Amino acid sequence: MAGILDVPKPRINCSMMSQHINKPVCFVGRVDKVHPTGKTFSVIDGEGKTATVDLNEPLAEELSGVVEIIGMVSNKGTIMASNYSILREDRGPSFDLELYNEALKVIQDFPQFYPFKVTASG
Amino acid sequence: MTMLSEGAIEALSNGSDANDFVLQLTNIRKIEGGNGLPRFRVMMSDGRHTLSSFMLSTQLNYLIEENTLSLYCICVLKRHVTNILKDGRRVVIILEIDVIKRAEEVAGRIGDPTPYTESQTKPQQTTSNHDSRPPLQPQNRNEMNRGFSKDFGKKGPAAMPSTPGGGSKVVPIASLNPYQSKWTIRARVTNKSSIRTWSNSRGDGKLFTVELVDESGEIRMTAFNQEVDKFFGLIEAGKVYYISKCSLKIANKQYTSVKNDYEMTLNGESSIVPCEDSCDVPMVQCDFVSIGDLENKEKDSIVDVIGVCKKTDEATHFTSKSNREMSKRTLHLIDISGKLVTVTLWGEEAEKFDGSGEPIIAIKGAKLSDFGGCSLSASFSSTLMVNPDIPEAHKLRGWYDKEGHSMEGQSLTEMRSGGGGGNTNWKTLTDVKTEHLGHGEKADYYTCIATIVYLRKENCLYQACPSQDCNKKVVDQQNGMFRCEKCDKEFPNFKYRLILSANIADYGDNQWVTCFQESAEAILGQNAAYLGQLKESNEAAFDEVFQQANFNSFIFRSRVKLETYNDESRIKATVMEVKPVDHKDYSKRLIMNIRKLVVQ
Repeated sequence: MAGILDVPKPRINCSMMSQHINKPVCFVGRVDKVHPTGKTFSVIDGEGKTATVDLNEPLAEELSGVVEIIGMVSNKGTIMASNYSILREDRGPSFDLELYNEALKVIQDFPQFYPFKVTASG
Repeated sequence: MTMLSEGAIEALSNGSDANDFVLQLTNIRKIEGGNGLPRFRVMMSDGRHTLSSFMLSTQLNYLIEENTLSLYCICVLKRHVTNILKDGRRVVIILEIDVIKRAEEVAGRIGDPTPYTESQTKPQQTTSNHDSRPPLQPQNRNEMNRGFSKDFGKKGPAAMPSTPGGGSKVVPIASLNPYQSKWTIRARVTNKSSIRTWSNSRGDGKLFTVELVDESGEIRMTAFNQEVDKFFGLIEAGKVYYISKCSLKIANKQYTSVKNDYEMTLNGESSIVPCEDSCDVPMVQCDFVSIGDLENKEKDSIVDVIGVCKKTDEATHFTSKSNREMSKRTLHLIDISGKLVTVTLWGEEAEKFDGSGEPIIAIKGAKLSDFGGCSLSASFSSTLMVNPDIPEAHKLRGWYDKEGHSMEGQSLTEMRSGGGGGNTNWKTLTDVKTEHLGHGEKADYYTCIATIVYLRKENCLYQACPSQDCNKKVVDQQNGMFRCEKCDKEFPNFKYRLILSANIADYGDNQWVTCFQESAEAILGQNAAYLGQLKESNEAAFDEVFQQANFNSFIFRSRVKLETYNDESRIKATVMEVKPVDHKDYSKRLIMNIRKLVVQ
């Protein structure tokens, strides 16, 4: 599982989490609370639900705003992050999480038109 | 054989308010009202006597029109009110009646009833005059009679049995009619106007109107002059009152949206008493029209609408034709039909309106106008409710939060201002070809989102006449002078202008388009004068500008028209406007289109 960045990662929100246990996912949400240890933080998705993100290394920077997280969904329903990136608000219009969530629902409702499935890998 | 309630006619003639008498209908007469609904007068028999002064309340007209109530049928009088006319005659108003045996099942008239004569009242009727009539009834057995005698005893309005503790029954608004004077309604004030004054050749005066509602219906009430002074301060919008002794007349539908055939006017005897226990009286009655259906309605019709206030414009101030300072504000409402309509608020309502948080707006009695295609106006007689606590509002909120908020919504109202406008004719480049846009008599306009895939930099600049407003190409005289044929003048200079051929593409197709000055500058990100300079001085930098512009996406508004040169017909597309893509807007529209496709 070295190449999590190389495999397709479905975009999900909190309510789709349970269907993606032990699978690589891409999650976009607004940073809510960062744990004092810096190894865990919570994010809120476009439906206002909260997810917990666990990191291997403590954060080296201050985290706020909208972030995109690449990681695996753990058995506990948290996201084990491999990577994250901050969507900087000073670069272009602010990210509309609710609208993004609508797009997620479209992708989920019509999987036949969005074939982002994890293809069987060797 | 069904037994008739013998003696019922006598009892009713004496003002009994008992119900459930079984009677036979022995005659029907239609009375054509001047300008209102027809009324039916019926004769009833109890087998012993007949009485012809039964009136069917207009709400029950359908019974006769549908032939449920017909000659010789047997019925049960479920609910009625006895009314005494000014001349002392009694009229029994039928409010509810059940047919227990249809006419076809009845052999004919039952028994040999004779007309009942009110021997006691008749003589007095002829001798008495209107004001100084003594109490009529020898027997004051029931409330009706007591009320009646008090009334004529002129003990003043305060003594009238119309207050909560008093005698007359609370009746539903729907049963009110001009032929019945003894009633009390318990109703909520849903709208109260300000005091308006008039002045004309017949004098001047003032009035205010309120709208009343109970669980049965609604009615408009007007107060004039003295009654304005008496009641204006007493009546508060939203509160519930016991109201009695008003004059009823046929409603003038031209001035009101209230759904009632009648309206009432407060008079000197009217009584209005606040009602404390009011929770069961409905707040307001609305008959909401879907925004999508507004287009099918007549102009100037009065409608109730409910929608989410998707957008609120700023309040604007202007001076009316009559030289008054006015203010207005426009709201954009969307409902489940996915259609948007603009609503204009006026005056104080426009000033105070707060559209933050996309509230649910219900408007009772908005006027439909053809301004801008189809729009609404909330006039002084309209009631504006923000986030009303009614089922429609909750349903709408649920829909909007779930899916409605991502809809772009198609507006019924055409915007005059820019911003792409309300009725943008969005097309894909495939649509443009399959729908043969531009092949008609007139040019077609459409808007698309597309990406620049090729820019022809050859001949994209030309030398134009330097005089203002003339962009004609000049002819280089090769002597340092440039001649403009149009202006018929020679100039020592020229200005560069752009005429850029571009190939634009979307997911389905591509198209050659011509971009003039402003649109070409928007695509290239440089102005024509600078580009001209570059072309002369730094060819590499000039090329770089074109390279940079490639593969950028824009919103293009184009005009297409079939043009014929030398017997060859070609579709010519000219870009009218180039704008950067608003990705949020674009995503919303795509999501909405996807959702629409699912429904189809």
